[in-house]
Amino acid sequence: MSTLVEYVGNVAETVTTIFEGMAITFSHFVRRPMTIQYPDRIEKPVQEMLPLRYRGILEVDLDICTGCLACERVCPITCITIGIEMNKETKQRSFSHFDIDICKCMYCGLCAEICPTGSIRHSQEFEGACYNPAGLVRHFVTEPVPLYKPKKGGETDAQMITKVELGLKYLDEFATPEEKVGGAGAEEG
Amino acid sequence: MQAFVDQLIQEGYFQGLPKEIIYLGAMLLAALVVLSFFVAPLAGITSWLERRVWARMQSRVGPNRVGPQGILQWLADGIKNLLKEDIIPSAADKWLFVLAPYIVFVGFLATFVVIPFGSQLIVADLNIGIFYLLAVTSLVVVGILMAGWASNNKWSLLGGMRSAAQIVSYEIPAGLAVLTIIFVAGTMSMQGIIKAQGWAPWDWFLFYNPFTFVAFFLYFTAALAEGNRTPFDIPEAESELVAGYVTEYSGMRFLFFFFAEWGNLYVIGAIATTLFLGGWQVPPVTDNPVLIGVLQFMVFFLKAYFWVFVAMWVRGTLPRVRVDQLMSACWKYLVPLSFVSLLGTAAWMVLYPKGNRLASFGMFLMGVAILLLFFKRVNYQIRHSRPEIYWKPYI
Amino acid sequence: MSDPVHAESEAFHTEDMTISMGPQHPSTHGVLRFIVKTDGEVMREAIPDVGYLHRSIEKIGEKVTWHGYVPYTDRADYLAAMFTNQAFCMAAEKLAGVEVARRGEFCRVIACELNRIASHLIAVGSFGQDIGAVTPFIHALRERETINNLMEEICGARLTYNYIRIGGVGYDITPETCGRISEFLDHFELIVDEYNRLLSYNKIFIERLANIAVITREDAFQYNIVGPNLRASGVKWDIRRDIPYSVYPELEFDIPVGTGEKGTLGDCYDRYIVRIREMQESCRILHQCLKMLPKGPAIAKVARKFKPPAGEIYVRVEAPRGDMGFYVVSDGSEYAYRVRIRTGSFTAMSLINKISRGLMVADLIALIASLDVDAPEIDR
Repeated sequence: MSTLVEYVGNVAETVTTIFEGMAITFSHFVRRPMTIQYPDRIEKPVQEMLPLRYRGILEVDLDICTGCLACERVCPITCITIGIEMNKETKQRSFSHFDIDICKCMYCGLCAEICPTGSIRHSQEFEGACYNPAGLVRHFVTEPVPLYKPKKGGETDAQMITKVELGLKYLDEFATPEEKVGGAGAEEG
Repeated sequence: MQAFVDQLIQEGYFQGLPKEIIYLGAMLLAALVVLSFFVAPLAGITSWLERRVWARMQSRVGPNRVGPQGILQWLADGIKNLLKEDIIPSAADKWLFVLAPYIVFVGFLATFVVIPFGSQLIVADLNIGIFYLLAVTSLVVVGILMAGWASNNKWSLLGGMRSAAQIVSYEIPAGLAVLTIIFVAGTMSMQGIIKAQGWAPWDWFLFYNPFTFVAFFLYFTAALAEGNRTPFDIPEAESELVAGYVTEYSGMRFLFFFFAEWGNLYVIGAIATTLFLGGWQVPPVTDNPVLIGVLQFMVFFLKAYFWVFVAMWVRGTLPRVRVDQLMSACWKYLVPLSFVSLLGTAAWMVLYPKGNRLASFGMFLMGVAILLLFFKRVNYQIRHSRPEIYWKPYI
Repeated sequence: MSDPVHAESEAFHTEDMTISMGPQHPSTHGVLRFIVKTDGEVMREAIPDVGYLHRSIEKIGEKVTWHGYVPYTDRADYLAAMFTNQAFCMAAEKLAGVEVARRGEFCRVIACELNRIASHLIAVGSFGQDIGAVTPFIHALRERETINNLMEEICGARLTYNYIRIGGVGYDITPETCGRISEFLDHFELIVDEYNRLLSYNKIFIERLANIAVITREDAFQYNIVGPNLRASGVKWDIRRDIPYSVYPELEFDIPVGTGEKGTLGDCYDRYIVRIREMQESCRILHQCLKMLPKGPAIAKVARKFKPPAGEIYVRVEAPRGDMGFYVVSDGSEYAYRVRIRTGSFTAMSLINKISRGLMVADLIALIASLDVDAPEIDR
């Protein structure tokens, strides 16, 4: 008798749990799907909707780079190579090459944190695929660019003010909290 | 259809060819029309629908780019597979390897000659219609075993063996459930079974007595097992045996097996509709024969396709059973229950030779109550898991 | 159960079939290979063959600076990256005597528990998929997408975070993010209930898992199984409770232990249900942390050229796959002398051969999935 009860119980439990499971999947069937159909059926490009801290592909603003080589030293995988040469007559130092190999890059953010002016940054770009492996090394120096010397008492040149402020704003959001005055950690919380 | 061809002969077409040749030609033409205009697009659209249904149940969108809403996806898949390299493993048994998909195909396509699409729209109204169907669908076992053996691959062999055991075992509950209906209808011909039912739901054999209600679910479960569908899709379990008996197939040969599987879903739905849901019966709304024909075709198609949808739905919900649990489910649960339903129906027919309208109506109300309970549960799920968070996709 | 089979095969002359469940297989979690000897459906033995994902992470520890090694630890188990980060940073802090900022400790716990939920979602989801139910996997991934979005807001990356640094955390958690986390938690607790109704209480699922591949308490101790696998065998051992670290002593949470509710104690179903319950406990921990988050800096002052004094230390954290241990030896320079990572999945692989005798091939899949082994953790 108990085996008959167990038998009927097995059948009943199977039927009820299958019924419940089918109710759940049917409820998902009639709800709106969660897919975001990228890249053509969305209102804004994805790059504009990412948070500011997003660690995308690296970009360098050479106009405010001071050539301190801190990023090259701190990178754990040596994907940044910088060359600085001295012009003998004018005693002016300038960049000869500034290459970032984006397929070696680990997107860890250590270089962007340590930069004093915020010239090396993570952009919101994440589509770096190309047909040619040579395209995966980004060269940021096309002609020799002089090094930047931060002026005491703030920047005066109009063009450079926007760049400097952009770099500092990036550092505010991104750098480690104790390194910058008024950084992300001190005021919030 | 035979009456139609006879009429054409009377009217003087075919200038005195022997009758057999005319019949042969007519049957070949009818088969060709059904197969290329109905079955092939149907299997293709079923594959697209399965992917869309599955995707919506997983809160995502299925294929929706090729053609309007992605409806031509199957054409793109078919063309892609035709263009692939035809790889036959060098150590495989070449003739059996090549022949296996075709035998599976034959086993499935031969069923379409007796599917009643309408009261005049049937290729051949055999008087052993349903028996012929059961016999012919067993041909796929031969094809699957050939595929498993000829691939010269241990995984495929395991898959083929499991599948053979599965299909052969589940023939029994399916056959017994069908036999229950044959008792009630008194005939094995498909048109005869449909004519014994009425158009109203309480005249269907599904609600005829509690035993046929149970027989329906037994038939559906056994048919899913015969068609290698989840929860019984062990032979092609992709997470266990890579792809089971179709592991070594590629390109169009691979697609043939799946073509047969999706088409088989429709056959399952069609048999379920014919036996239990009243087939093409429509309420008498018009006298125009063409309109009646179209209406009957649509009603039959929709009813059969609803069961295709249910099969896809079940596939998306349930996990797979293991081989020994499959066998124990068949022999310990389905077979005794189908015997019980058979004997119960026989006893009912002795008690009520003309059928019991009241009991049928009561069963119909019970069916409606189950459906309402189901929608109540669906409502509970939707309310209870707070879908609002999906509506603010934060990229 | 398998004795009649073997006795019969001694009367005939039959041979065992050797199958290689090779590195490319849809359901070994990552690149793992098993050499399976079967007698029809029943297995004689299953020998694991590991090493397909070895990337010399331990050797790299000797070549990069202490701060620079933290992104590498992410890759040692990319599904539970916060825990490896935390273990290494704790080792470095203990060697150098750095005191972690208090707000940083709470941010660490928030990030770690979110990551635990994400890792367990993958574990139960792929478990369902290996058993054949594909829908719950996608639902689990959908929830994990929201967690990934939260992580992206906090630290900028979705999988390999580099968030927990020596001395605290790299970026602070803003109040908007805290609001989003608690909104997610309110939604997630209901989703876990729905997941249970869809999969955990399903009769077919229970039949597949109950009484399969039982790991007894003694076996678990002999083979050094840790984490949810150990707790499913009835042993109430959790590093957060027994060797506490960080702020866990101040938080209130239970340790879910397997009880053999649908079969024997220590079977596959227990290992599965322990993970579901752990997700619910993590939600509880997160609610408490969000309330208790103090003000202050999120990271302590640590030198750029980090040079801890010479010494050695072994640090353990409770990762989702068990007790993760970091044995770090420093010789006073700015590179570590030796970093050794001990993971729970590696020891779990050693148990598979013993337990798999007499199981069927389908049960081997269930066993591997229930142990939640992870190829990057095994091979490092």
